[in-house]
Amino acid sequence: MGLTSVTRLIAFLSVCALTSAPASVLGSVFASTSTSTSSAGEVSDVDRALIESAFGASGDGDAAGQSVGSSSSSFASFSGAIQSMNPEISLILDAAAAYFDGEPMQLGGHDPNKTGFSLQQLELHMAGSVDPFFRLDANIVFALFGVEVEEVYATTLALPYGLQARGGQFLTRFGRINATHPHAWSFVDQPLVIGKFFGSEGNRGLGAELSWLSPLPWYFEVSLSANNADGECCARSFLGADDFEVRGPLDLLYTTTIKQFFPFNDSWSLSLGLSGQFGPNASGYHNRTAIFGTDVYLRYRPVDSAERSALSLQAEGLYRRRQIPDGLLDDFGIYAQLVWNITPEWEVGGRFEHVSGVSDDPLDPDWTRPRRRTSLEATFYPSHFSRLRLQGSYDEPLFASQPVYVAMFSLEVMIGAHGAHSF
Amino acid sequence: MLDSSSSPSRTARPREGASNWLRASNGLGAVAIACLLLVHPTPASAKVQVVATLPDLAALAEAVGGDLVEVTALAKPNQDPHYVDGRPSFLIPLSRADLLLVNGLDLEVGWLPPLLTNARNAKIMPGASGYLDGSLVIHRLEVPNSRIDRAMGDIHPGGNPHYLYDPRAGLLVAEAIAERLSTIDRDHEALYRTQLAAFSKALTEVSDAAMRKFAELPEAKRQLVVYHQSLVYLFDWLGLKEIAALEPKPGIAPNPSHVADVLATMRKAGARVIIQEEFYPRRLSDTLAKMTHGEIVNLRGGARFEEGETYVQRIERSSEALYHALSQ
Repeated sequence: MGLTSVTRLIAFLSVCALTSAPASVLGSVFASTSTSTSSAGEVSDVDRALIESAFGASGDGDAAGQSVGSSSSSFASFSGAIQSMNPEISLILDAAAAYFDGEPMQLGGHDPNKTGFSLQQLELHMAGSVDPFFRLDANIVFALFGVEVEEVYATTLALPYGLQARGGQFLTRFGRINATHPHAWSFVDQPLVIGKFFGSEGNRGLGAELSWLSPLPWYFEVSLSANNADGECCARSFLGADDFEVRGPLDLLYTTTIKQFFPFNDSWSLSLGLSGQFGPNASGYHNRTAIFGTDVYLRYRPVDSAERSALSLQAEGLYRRRQIPDGLLDDFGIYAQLVWNITPEWEVGGRFEHVSGVSDDPLDPDWTRPRRRTSLEATFYPSHFSRLRLQGSYDEPLFASQPVYVAMFSLEVMIGAHGAHSF
Repeated sequence: MLDSSSSPSRTARPREGASNWLRASNGLGAVAIACLLLVHPTPASAKVQVVATLPDLAALAEAVGGDLVEVTALAKPNQDPHYVDGRPSFLIPLSRADLLLVNGLDLEVGWLPPLLTNARNAKIMPGASGYLDGSLVIHRLEVPNSRIDRAMGDIHPGGNPHYLYDPRAGLLVAEAIAERLSTIDRDHEALYRTQLAAFSKALTEVSDAAMRKFAELPEAKRQLVVYHQSLVYLFDWLGLKEIAALEPKPGIAPNPSHVADVLATMRKAGARVIIQEEFYPRRLSDTLAKMTHGEIVNLRGGARFEEGETYVQRIERSSEALYHALSQ
């Protein structure tokens, strides 16, 4: 009883804080960060405190970001470059040709899912700084007959204490691959476990996120987000397609992650992540679902390699528990992939996947036994902005009568701003 | 134990005792929030924290800042600055920095922007006093004066970004760093000015000496082949001439027919030196050097900052190695 109400209260408060912090609070927070940087001798700390309290009392949002005592002298002026207030814009086309020697059983929304040609996606990415306090990122995805706002979120740039908040529609940071888009993937299709546990588009939704970069001497970041728990595409283990009215904080989907990074030396590094996700599911009776995940990314890139070669091993394991009216369902899924960037032009990779099945699963009634899939890929990069990929898969759902052989050939081209990828 | 016989309405109040394991897991979130509220980092250091994307910029900051600054370089000197892995560990120095030095002209565009967003440090965001883009104070070369297109290769729209090979540009950047450090740390303005003056004197001596030496080389010996078009500032400084590049277009890998053209150009012009930064592939250049009885100059990508090499030493050593090859 005690724990539940405390949890609800804290969750409620954090959501309130994220969505409705008054301007005066934000203003004083911003002001306090910037003042700590100035070291002008002429203004005493007492003077400064007086000035700050005046700003705080007036609640003047316009004062945010103006640091007391810091010089605003103008530095070298921009000479000659084309100035523009336009956001960075890039357009990415992913198209594929595929062959399936049996019934296609792809789960990803952007996977080629039939023999013949398919438009995986046409993604329009726009981003830019809103002001010194926010940036905005939008990923708008076009299919042949429709448009989808895949992601659009604002990110804070000036919160103190290593905090950062995001709000809007975004992919949650569960694990490694979920938060990324197809153009950052090493394989043409989405891992099975992501499609089965989260949905065809990965886990995303409208919500708010707070993350914290710890002051520890190595990279240690904690994040917590609250999102709507519905969407067949994006939260199928939770409310899915269910039309559901949110009555309290426990009706939201919570995602929490811990991410760490260990650079062993200039060439070797290891990323480790732990993720957990908790929310209501669509089977009624206050039934809930929890998903736990762990991810590993081991990378070897000799820093002085003239061929820019790199070898990376990425693996994720997810474990899911769902309450249903007649009991508890447990299942899990993993994928592990090894990708070798041989030269800037060539890359090869292999991926193994295993996703368990359970009986009486209301979401995937046929998926009663494990499904395994093995894929190999070879990619040619004519430049940094285009790639051609050949992928072959052997898909073995033990619950189906036949394994399926799949061949895919995909083309990806990109125009516009040079998008940087996160590590 | 699970209770599946509860009220069918999901909107009713939660029942006690049901699904304790799931409720408890929500406690994880509570712990996370508690951590957020309790801890706040306060890097207590008197030194000005400077982060430089490139080791040459770091060496410049070290020369001007001396003991008053603590400098971290993100990229390694033997690493191609276009293609640095944006390691999450870079966020640690970035989140604590008072001043960030970037090369600019899109050189770091492939790896720096997400780091800058994630560092949560308003002091070093573009536009803030802790963000210094060196390219804004130098005389830029190869600034496209007509419409550019990616079909031309990976062209930098603001101009060629590899200006730190020219010590005259390095000096301009050092002056900007000194000015910025004086703004951030006003108490030591005079010291920054003194240190800048000493650095300026040492660098100008080395630079002038090199210019005099190279000027005495005959015209025919002052022509070179490059791998990537990244040495225009170096050539401008030393009065050298680039007659061909192994990459047919910037960022596009060499192909046999283009390399054959390069070979023809080299033979016709009587050029015998190929110069490239240490992070470009050697095999093709080795072959070409053999065919023309020439040699390769492996140019250092940057000062060995972490091993204590200064910018002045790095400029001196690079120009000496180049002079040695050209004067053969």
